[in-house]
Amino acid sequence: MIRLIGLQPCYEPGEKLEFEYRLGRWASEKVSAVEVSVVWFTEGKGTEDLGVHFFERASGPTVGERDWQVGQTSQVDLPMGPLSYEGRLLKIRWSIRVRAYLGDGTELIAQQPFYLGSLTREV
Amino acid sequence: MKFARLFRLWGKKRGQRMTGWWFVGSLGEAAFFGLLFLIGLLAFTIVIAWQVFSPETNAFPVGLGFWVIVIASASITAIGGFGFVLRVLWVATSDEHRIFLVGQTKQAQDRPKHWNVVSSIPSLEPYTDSPGVKLAYRLPGTRPDAGPLLLSSVFALAWNSLTAVQIALAITSFRQKIDWTMLLALPFFVAVGVFATRWFFQNFRKATGIGPTTVEISDLPLIAGKLYSLSVAQYGRLAMRKLKIALVCEETATYHHGTDVRTEKHVVSTQSLLEHGRTRIEYGRPLELECSFRVPIEAMHSFQSDHNSILWKIVVEGEANRWPSYCRSFPVVVFPAAFQRQANSSPPS
Repeated sequence: MIRLIGLQPCYEPGEKLEFEYRLGRWASEKVSAVEVSVVWFTEGKGTEDLGVHFFERASGPTVGERDWQVGQTSQVDLPMGPLSYEGRLLKIRWSIRVRAYLGDGTELIAQQPFYLGSLTREV
Repeated sequence: MKFARLFRLWGKKRGQRMTGWWFVGSLGEAAFFGLLFLIGLLAFTIVIAWQVFSPETNAFPVGLGFWVIVIASASITAIGGFGFVLRVLWVATSDEHRIFLVGQTKQAQDRPKHWNVVSSIPSLEPYTDSPGVKLAYRLPGTRPDAGPLLLSSVFALAWNSLTAVQIALAITSFRQKIDWTMLLALPFFVAVGVFATRWFFQNFRKATGIGPTTVEISDLPLIAGKLYSLSVAQYGRLAMRKLKIALVCEETATYHHGTDVRTEKHVVSTQSLLEHGRTRIEYGRPLELECSFRVPIEAMHSFQSDHNSILWKIVVEGEANRWPSYCRSFPVVVFPAAFQRQANSSPPS
């Protein structure tokens, strides 16, 4: 589960994005690696493009030492762009993604979308 | 049932969460390339070993077929081996992780870590390396499409050569037996030849006849809400009917359709900056126009990724007597307004 620490899911460029994530009991017992990323991606007619602004991976012995059922807080300084956009051929979305790799080969993905800048629409 | 639980081939999506089987995809790809490597290596070894150790059986005589098998099996081995190593290296690596690693290497190699560098916003370098005469920068224009000129020149040359040969053959046939089929087809060849030559000269005039257009701008990058000056000069010897200058924003999306790669464009906004009516332009006395404009405050900034982009450009459209109408584009870069706020707040270095 991912939770944004903020009242609105809209952030200005350069602002600090603060969020919290945690895993359920079933997953936290078997987790072997966790990846947290803040990404932008395109949607629409064109082939999807992905950009990674922030990436953090926890793996190895440190994973077992952490209690993943307790909320893990992260802070990220957001970039100047690209801003969220709603066009006709193209949409730009921002999202926080958490991937948990479990020991049995299963992968759990959760994502929390948010807006960077006031959403720019086609004019 | 137990097998399905152990090897889940499909992922499930529940709202913003998704589960999947990360190992199966990577394993399948690695197995495919591994198999390809083994098949290639086996074929290569058999062919070479047979030739070296049992040449007397002449099972694979050295010739075209032999070399085709050697090259094909060596290629399959190389592709399989390279693919296998790559897949094994990337096993259990998410898309985000791969892009992050690639991005880190790229940033370390060719881009200084500076506050105004955002990889998805086009670089300013190609636009600011040419200073203007009246204003700060002279904008580079997009190259006109040379396709029609090239096509028409090749077609006209090839067709007229063919027609010349036909005429020569027709003349020589008068001395012997007249070939009526060839003679009747000759007017058709000549007519198409005339049409092709005319088409070529039309394209040639269009490409070279109208003089150059230069556009200068007071500042770059453009930032939403700020005021900018623009200076446009049209050279040549023309009787202009109309000249229009506009600021255009365009979305482009590139996608695969079967084996084709297609690009679709959509004009998001067009802001008319200036319209000029009838006027005569002489050599050495270009038509010079000036105007000022603001990028709309709610406008999206320039954006460039591998398959999608948002492009801003100054478009000059002209209509002149006895010339086909023309349209020339001069790309500009629009930055998010936040860049201006950060530039104002950060101390000068």
